[in-house]
Amino acid sequence: MNKSMKILVVDDFSTMRRIIKNLLKDLGFSNIQEADDGNTALPMLQQGDFDFVVTDWNMPGMQGIDLLRAIRSDAKLKHLPVLMVTAEAKKEQIVAAAQAGVNGYVVKPFTAATLKEKLEKIFERLG
Amino acid sequence: MSIKANVPISLEEAKQLVTYLEQGDSASANALLEAASMKESIELFAEVGKLTRQLHDALNSFQLDERIVDLANDDIPDAQSRLTYVIEETEKAANTTMDAVEASMPIAEGLTEQIDTIMPEWKKLMTRQIELGEFKVLCNELDTFLSDASQKSNKLTSLLTEVLMAQGYQDLTGQVIRRVIDLVKEVEDSLVNMLTMFGEPGEIANTPKQSRKQTDKVEAEGPIIDADQRDDVVKGQDDVDDLLSSLGF
Repeated sequence: MNKSMKILVVDDFSTMRRIIKNLLKDLGFSNIQEADDGNTALPMLQQGDFDFVVTDWNMPGMQGIDLLRAIRSDAKLKHLPVLMVTAEAKKEQIVAAAQAGVNGYVVKPFTAATLKEKLEKIFERLG
Repeated sequence: MSIKANVPISLEEAKQLVTYLEQGDSASANALLEAASMKESIELFAEVGKLTRQLHDALNSFQLDERIVDLANDDIPDAQSRLTYVIEETEKAANTTMDAVEASMPIAEGLTEQIDTIMPEWKKLMTRQIELGEFKVLCNELDTFLSDASQKSNKLTSLLTEVLMAQGYQDLTGQVIRRVIDLVKEVEDSLVNMLTMFGEPGEIANTPKQSRKQTDKVEAEGPIIDADQRDDVVKGQDDVDDLLSSLGF
């Protein structure tokens, strides 16, 4: 895992962004930016050279699933790895996220170990 | 009603009445008075009729608004369990945090104690006043302390991570409370709507009926507060992982 990779954390709750940011820092990542919904995140992704996205699902404005779909349908962004960290726990939603091309799915409440494991798995697979 | 209409009889009718009375024609005078009061009654009857019809319409629309029934039967009890969930989650987070703090305190105190024990001999070493025997004791103490300290600081880090993770309750309960706020807003709108219906009947037709709850299966729902009673949701990360691996992940 390249520890200097640029990561975007998308969640409408600033407390959750802080938690994820802190966990990522514990894991050695320090190049982290934040957005509070898909509408804010998408232009940031299109302009910046992000390497990884961690996003919530349920947000006002553009929801996480729509952000994921927008990323996958953008020629420049479609290979960007996306980890969903969300309280959405319906099976249909998880299937929908998988179909939309999510790289990992973590349900809240989650543990630091789970986040670490999913991150490692994603990067292991991406090589 | 205009001011004119409030006057029971017109000037002409009054003059006519005086004439009848002067002539002693009481039958004609009575007839004239009756005709005048009849005009009033007809207006009154028309007004009562209109009000009756409006009341009838209002009652009908009130019964037809199923959303109010849904609110009372499903949404309000649902809001109650949501708020109970908020209490439980905040309690859990508070307890997790306090447990971690209570576990951290003795560790920090233990470290301070060990440092206090080592410090006098360490000072002697630094001022080159230590004896060989004391130096050997110091080395042993330092050795124990260093391995202890590294273990204890690892423990402290993991306790602090627990405190950090416990703060996730703010997001989870925030999402649930937002839904209750939306419901309160809807109940308020329904009540206002009801008052409007009974107050200004003309408004009824203009009031849009509340649409039924969205049934879109991938629509965001927020934290699941009754996962035990549902089979369309996962119970935790293990279920998510199983589901994804069944999809070839």
